[in-house]
Amino acid sequence: MSNAPIDKLKEWSKQGHRNVLGDSLVMLAAERPEMCTVTADLTPTARLTGFRDTYPDRFFDVGIAEQNMIDFTAGLAVEGVLPYAVGLAAIVPMRPAEQMRVTLGYMNLNAKVVCIEAGVRFGPLGNTHYAMDDIAVVRAIPNFTVISPSDPLQIYKTIFAIADHDGPVYVRLTGGPGFPVMYPEDFDFQIGKAIEYKEGSDVAFISTGSMLGAAVEAANTLEGKGISTRVVDMHTIKPIDTDMLDKVFAENKLVVTVEEHTPIGGLGAAVAEYKTGFENTPKQVMASLGDKFQKLGDYAFLLKENGLTAAGLANLAEANF
Amino acid sequence: MGNNNTVEFIQEKCAVMRRDVIEMGYIAGGRGAHFGPALSSIEIMASLFFNIMNHDPKNPTMPDRDRFVQSKGHACLSYYSALIESGYIAKDQKSTFKQDESILSGHPSRNIEHGIEISSGSLGNGFAVACGMAKAAKIKKENHKVYCLVGDGECNEGIIWEAAMNGAKNKLDNLVAIVDRNGVQLAGKTSDIMDVDLVALWKAAGWEVLVLEDGNDLPSILEALEKMKNSKSGKPHAIIANTTKGKGISFMEGSINWHARVMNKEQYEQAILELESN
Ligand SMILES: Cc1ncc(C[n+]2csc(CCOP(=O)(O)OP(=O)(O)O)c2C)c(N)n1
Repeated sequence: MSNAPIDKLKEWSKQGHRNVLGDSLVMLAAERPEMCTVTADLTPTARLTGFRDTYPDRFFDVGIAEQNMIDFTAGLAVEGVLPYAVGLAAIVPMRPAEQMRVTLGYMNLNAKVVCIEAGVRFGPLGNTHYAMDDIAVVRAIPNFTVISPSDPLQIYKTIFAIADHDGPVYVRLTGGPGFPVMYPEDFDFQIGKAIEYKEGSDVAFISTGSMLGAAVEAANTLEGKGISTRVVDMHTIKPIDTDMLDKVFAENKLVVTVEEHTPIGGLGAAVAEYKTGFENTPKQVMASLGDKFQKLGDYAFLLKENGLTAAGLANLAEANF
Repeated sequence: MGNNNTVEFIQEKCAVMRRDVIEMGYIAGGRGAHFGPALSSIEIMASLFFNIMNHDPKNPTMPDRDRFVQSKGHACLSYYSALIESGYIAKDQKSTFKQDESILSGHPSRNIEHGIEISSGSLGNGFAVACGMAKAAKIKKENHKVYCLVGDGECNEGIIWEAAMNGAKNKLDNLVAIVDRNGVQLAGKTSDIMDVDLVALWKAAGWEVLVLEDGNDLPSILEALEKMKNSKSGKPHAIIANTTKGKGISFMEGSINWHARVMNKEQYEQAILELESN
């Protein structure tokens, strides 16, 4: 991998995850001649214009046809091309879910599906554009790796790391313009290996995606009240890092999972599924979008409505500690 | 409501609706709006709501009302403007477009009381649902029609063709699909992204097809809809309406930059000026 582009982090944080994706794909393509990008009429939205113009022979737009995008991607992967299919998180894992299962998953193909605007960042566009269940859908497919990076540098590292990982990967990108830089300097990123962002022995926040910022802020609030709080960046949801979970279950008194997703089948569910096999594990509460369609509102409004803010997380933890 | 409105009356409604689209889209501020997709479909929407469809805004659940489905749901502003100008939605709701807790979301959300039959915004589904609604009318021996607005880019979706074949198989002659062929989709020109012969495809799927040279010309769209409404072909009907994306605002017409976008004050003022001088 090329050196971490530290000089770009400020700009990326301002622009949001789409630009990080678009720029990272161009950088990756320079190093991996077998790599290509496939999309379904989303070129400007997913910031792929630069890729298209730089590598026109390695860029394919299948039209507004997400099922076709996945199977076309599968065909490329079967023949040893390294395809990155880019789509909307609200549409892609759901509409071609069966294609993802029987072509990418079943044949364990080396193809990557990267989706923008996961969670409720699309706010005013309404429920058709919220991705609240994508982790659940893809996590249920054998062979798939599911990653939700937490900040600009981690997105960049994910895009590179999955190129070296043989098998189908789903990447869900969260965090709109202004999402915080959590890793200002180069750090060690490994698929499946969670990062202990902050140590603490009472409460443990386990978060995924751009929720990390709010979790860290909530942890600081709790520390101010004398509650020692650990924060785990669980960027890889499948396979989940059970070593890290063992440590949390042994050392913490309350687990709070934090995700921009339904409580059904996401990060919280993955943690609970593992936890259920052990006696004497701490209580777990899930901060999530709930099992419901959302009211209309902008991103900040929806996060607040669902308690996915630093204050909401701190309150939830305190009430259950 | 419906029938009896003169072309002049509907033409005036089109002008008001265009203004509604610009105003609501501007009110959305940084949240942006799909201006181009709404503006290409104004004449189609006005023809349906002010002439062709049998409906009553005072009685939105009237069983024999004609149904409308906006399958290209991102063009919701043309739908909302038709609902506002025909009385399903109060005019003062305009300022709530895309605001927190508003009913006017960036894609239509089912709300019968306000004239919205079907939630849409995920392309392809609305049209396939419209086929089911047309079949239901036949099962229930009801005589109303189902009208559905489809995008030309939306026709890239496989579900469109699965549903079109099923519609023909079920002889849904009570269903009229209007394809808003504005020639531009999200990332570029439809001819660059997926260059297909839409007329041949709809015909091959078993539909009666009528091509409209100018789908922004009110008399021709009215005539086409009237013709399809009364057709005795026994097949479902498709009107392929050649339109202009962003119709009516010079800097939006045919542009891929106005598919969805934030409008600034200067652009707003110029757009209003252009509408007023027409
Ligand atoms: C299933 C699905 N895929 C992708 C999108 C994103 N999207 C919204 S509008 C659009 C382009 C639609 O083009 P067209 O049907 O030609 O309608 P127009 O905007 O030209 O009226 C796309 C790709 C979506 N809303 N739904």
